[in-house]
Amino acid sequence: MQKGLTAQPRKRIRWAVYMFVIPAFLFHFIFITAPSLSSIYFSFFDWNGIGVPAYIGAGNYREMFADSEFIKALTNNLKWIGIFITIPVFLGLLTAYWISKLKKTQMMIRTIYFMPYIIASATAGRIWCSYFNPYFGFNSAFKAIGWTGLGSTLWLGNKNIVLYTVAFVDVWHFWGFIMVMFLGALQQVDPTLYESAMVEGANRRQLFTKITIPCIMPTFVFIVISIIMWSFLTFDYIWVMTGGGPGNASDVLSTLIYRNAYSRYRTGYASAISVIQSILAITTYAIMQVVKKRGVDV
Amino acid sequence: MKNRSFGSIVYTAFKWVIIWGLALFEIFPIIQLILNSFRPDTEIKKFPIGLPRTWTLENYPDTWNIGNYGRAFLNSIWVCFWTIVITLVLIGLASYALAKIDFKGRGFFVAYFLMGMAIPSFSHLIPTYYLFNRMGIANTHLCLIIIYTAGQIPFNLLLLRTFLLGIPRELEEAAKVDGCNELGTFLRVTLPLAKSIFLTVALLIFMKSWNEFAVANTYVTTDSLRTVSTRFVKFTTEYNNNFGRIFTSGVISIAPVVIMYLLMQNRFIDGLTSGGLKG
Repeated sequence: MQKGLTAQPRKRIRWAVYMFVIPAFLFHFIFITAPSLSSIYFSFFDWNGIGVPAYIGAGNYREMFADSEFIKALTNNLKWIGIFITIPVFLGLLTAYWISKLKKTQMMIRTIYFMPYIIASATAGRIWCSYFNPYFGFNSAFKAIGWTGLGSTLWLGNKNIVLYTVAFVDVWHFWGFIMVMFLGALQQVDPTLYESAMVEGANRRQLFTKITIPCIMPTFVFIVISIIMWSFLTFDYIWVMTGGGPGNASDVLSTLIYRNAYSRYRTGYASAISVIQSILAITTYAIMQVVKKRGVDV
Repeated sequence: MKNRSFGSIVYTAFKWVIIWGLALFEIFPIIQLILNSFRPDTEIKKFPIGLPRTWTLENYPDTWNIGNYGRAFLNSIWVCFWTIVITLVLIGLASYALAKIDFKGRGFFVAYFLMGMAIPSFSHLIPTYYLFNRMGIANTHLCLIIIYTAGQIPFNLLLLRTFLLGIPRELEEAAKVDGCNELGTFLRVTLPLAKSIFLTVALLIFMKSWNEFAVANTYVTTDSLRTVSTRFVKFTTEYNNNFGRIFTSGVISIAPVVIMYLLMQNRFIDGLTSGGLKG
């Protein structure tokens, strides 16, 4: 009797539950997941986006691995990873460590460091382009103080340094985010650990290497893996500041996909590159989930 | 002893130089951006940095009118508004179910959205473009609203779910004992408790939709339909020789987000960073 009474409404609830989840699920599936999967299908076709797609098997992939543009773009993505897992992480960790001990000014500095992160990358990129303008930008300031070497550098026009110029701007935009992540992790560290270590006579360096580092290790690992994943996907700053140029000096996978899809009308080839990009990003992400689940051993 | 204190003085000085040097590095381009918007074009070209020698307000009406920013603001607000509303309804319901109700398939859905966060936008940018073409809604605000909403779902849903998991279930159980159904419980008990996190999520969606460039630039090509971020890039490409206007349109484009950030920075910072890790 009792059992029957409770079982009745439960059954109705079960159905209702799916009505809560299905709309969000379907919306995402139809407009994100399904199109993404269809990219895999399109990657086996030679297609300009308008006409009839022609099946060419692995042709796009074969072309890609022989394409010097693709190799260049992938290399730039790897350089991007190299830059971003070192500079922002180092700056972020160092400043977070210092700032975590401040009281009055902590909020203010955090606000300033984080500010570029909330600004539209398209806007910030363009503004920095103006600052890097060879005639009317910072260069005239460099010349005014006698640094003619710096003052005559073509920051966005020299193919040997253009990638680093854009990376510099993206670091400006990004590293405050990493700082706040580390700051959050540092504030989670149990203060009694420090107290008891100090009672036992540990010095500042020992406190840092024996307590701080191990406690923030999980955050550190997640940040590094996340950066690797985001670096495979980077687009906005490069597209707005250089469009991948000059030539293809600052191309990355995203700009290559964009150009092939929307200015060269090589939809099939662009899809194939996007499949490779997705595999790289999703694999990195999967590694992160596994690491997160298993915990980080130090 | 003396030696050690000298060392620590040097260390402290070094520390503060780095801290404030980096703060200057972060804020200087933004301050100079604002200052330049009050300088005449010729003065900026003569020297790009420094205080305005002659303050001028001329750049603002010029940029606003020539750039058609009134229209662009309305477009962006329209897109942001519907993206926020639809996303909050979808993820509000879903995160409630995934946090508060035990049902078959829950693990699957959580895993799905967790995986969904990893799907790069470039993997669906091209097919969705053709999908919208076939649906006959290419080059409209609707396709931006759809794609932004879809893209915002996984991250914000999981952020919301993490928060809801932290609210003890007893409150909802009590409401159900009193005869509320699931929807009633969600609306009357959970929603009021989670008001603050909903506001945070709304702000994050606003910021991302306002700032978004790649999708807006691809899907909307009619000038009068452009949102602020693509309007800005178009305008600064057309008037790339007038630095006064470039900097002014920069200020106009980032002002709404920056003002909201300064007013509610904790929401921005906590929302953007906590979700990032807890995924």
